[in-house]
Amino acid sequence: MADKVEAVKEKEKVVSREFKEYIRDLNPDIGLDETIKRLTPEKIEKTIKAVLGGRSARIKAVLETCIHCGLCSEACQWYLSNDKDPTYAPVAKMRMTIWEMLKRDGKVDAEFIKQCARIVFTECNICHRCSMYCPYGLDVTFIIGMVRRICFLLGVVPQRMMDQDQAHIATLNQVWMSQNDWLDTMQWLEEETRLEYKDLRIPIDKEGAEVMWFPLGAEPKTGVHHIVRTAIIMNAAGINWTVPGKDVWDSSNMPMFIRDFFTMQRIVRGLFENAARLRIKKLILTE
Amino acid sequence: MFDFIRDPSLYNLVRGPLVWIAFLVFIGGSTYRIYSLINLAKKEKVILPFISLKATLRSLLHWVIPFASRNWRRRPIFTIMTFLFHISLVAIPIFLLSHNTLWYESWGISWWTLSEGLADFMTIIVILSCVFFLLRRIVAPEVKFVTFTSDYLLLTITALPFITGFLAYHELLLPYKIMLIIHMLAGETMLIAIPFTRLGHMFYFFLTRSFMGSQFALWHTKDW
Repeated sequence: MADKVEAVKEKEKVVSREFKEYIRDLNPDIGLDETIKRLTPEKIEKTIKAVLGGRSARIKAVLETCIHCGLCSEACQWYLSNDKDPTYAPVAKMRMTIWEMLKRDGKVDAEFIKQCARIVFTECNICHRCSMYCPYGLDVTFIIGMVRRICFLLGVVPQRMMDQDQAHIATLNQVWMSQNDWLDTMQWLEEETRLEYKDLRIPIDKEGAEVMWFPLGAEPKTGVHHIVRTAIIMNAAGINWTVPGKDVWDSSNMPMFIRDFFTMQRIVRGLFENAARLRIKKLILTE
Repeated sequence: MFDFIRDPSLYNLVRGPLVWIAFLVFIGGSTYRIYSLINLAKKEKVILPFISLKATLRSLLHWVIPFASRNWRRRPIFTIMTFLFHISLVAIPIFLLSHNTLWYESWGISWWTLSEGLADFMTIIVILSCVFFLLRRIVAPEVKFVTFTSDYLLLTITALPFITGFLAYHELLLPYKIMLIIHMLAGETMLIAIPFTRLGHMFYFFLTRSFMGSQFALWHTKDW
């Protein structure tokens, strides 16, 4: 029994070539492992220069004000929950990604990009706590977002996150749901809930309503109880509400997380256009 | 061989033209950097429209008071050291009697000065704080990971004027005139270094604080 436990603990480790203190478990992900095979040094350099080259105000402010004090570390839950491993600190994440890219003038290889992708997609969730603890209030998450942008443009993104982006590209929602299924779901939910709440309505595309409510992608697909509860509350409170009758109805924006700006914009524009089309006063998003 | 150090023209050089150069580079360079960052910010459409003066002032006040913000409270020793350090760092060059005498000599102006005992005490604080910062960089793992030669260099540039000033005033280690010239050169080096290095955080602090304070106000979240 003890031997089995030992065998489980002895998972293969990955040690960074550039930063020897960076040691992680080997976690295969075809979104990173396979996609880097398509990269060339020229492609990488060109992408990095395109994204960072302008040295915009925010990048400059963060790079030139950060005094390397490390006070951001104790803000980061990744740092705290990994026994204060210094390679999880926000400033450490910057060192291992953007500082290195700029130091080498964008001349980094595919393995390095894979390491960056692992750091910025799976070791940071852009929560902004580091900015709250930094005495200068530096926007570290902006830097993380820039590195995410570089990785996205190079196609190096964890598979699940890229898949969710694909869902948004193809269906404007996170869960590959068709418009018919969306309408169908709203209608059968209303029908079933009316068995208990006799006057309940889930208005669809009601013009001039005060509130338009947008769920998250998962709700009509696998979490319909959330929609039912929202409908009960809206009806009990007497709110003049509606749900959209067509795309975009999913307020989650997975493209934003991987910095796919084009699709991100399609989602946001879709939400506003639905509200504008029906002269809605307030947009309420689940998240 | 080292008699040139006793030559009055070296003193005159350091006391005269080099002071001019140091201050011009410091003031001109800092102004240029502030101006160019604000100009750069204008190009990014999502910065300036969201800056709120009220939020800026609130955020600045919040972080300039020791133990007001959460991170200051979580690290009491660091907070005490950094506040004493920064207050002394700014106050000593401006309110020291010796410096005041030089201003009077050159321009006929003078103002309130620190007592010599207090100035000595504050200088020791600056030096001890620099030692504290140095130890942090060597010992604390999260700081060590992001410490480079430039960080040690900046710490040295900052500590040197205070160390040499203290030694010069008390006439320790080297003859007065020599230590004095080294002190003036150290001070000039620091002034010139400010616009070109991360010592520029002294003015960037106000801009970045303004940005993040405005962001917190926008998100209706408190300034931690």
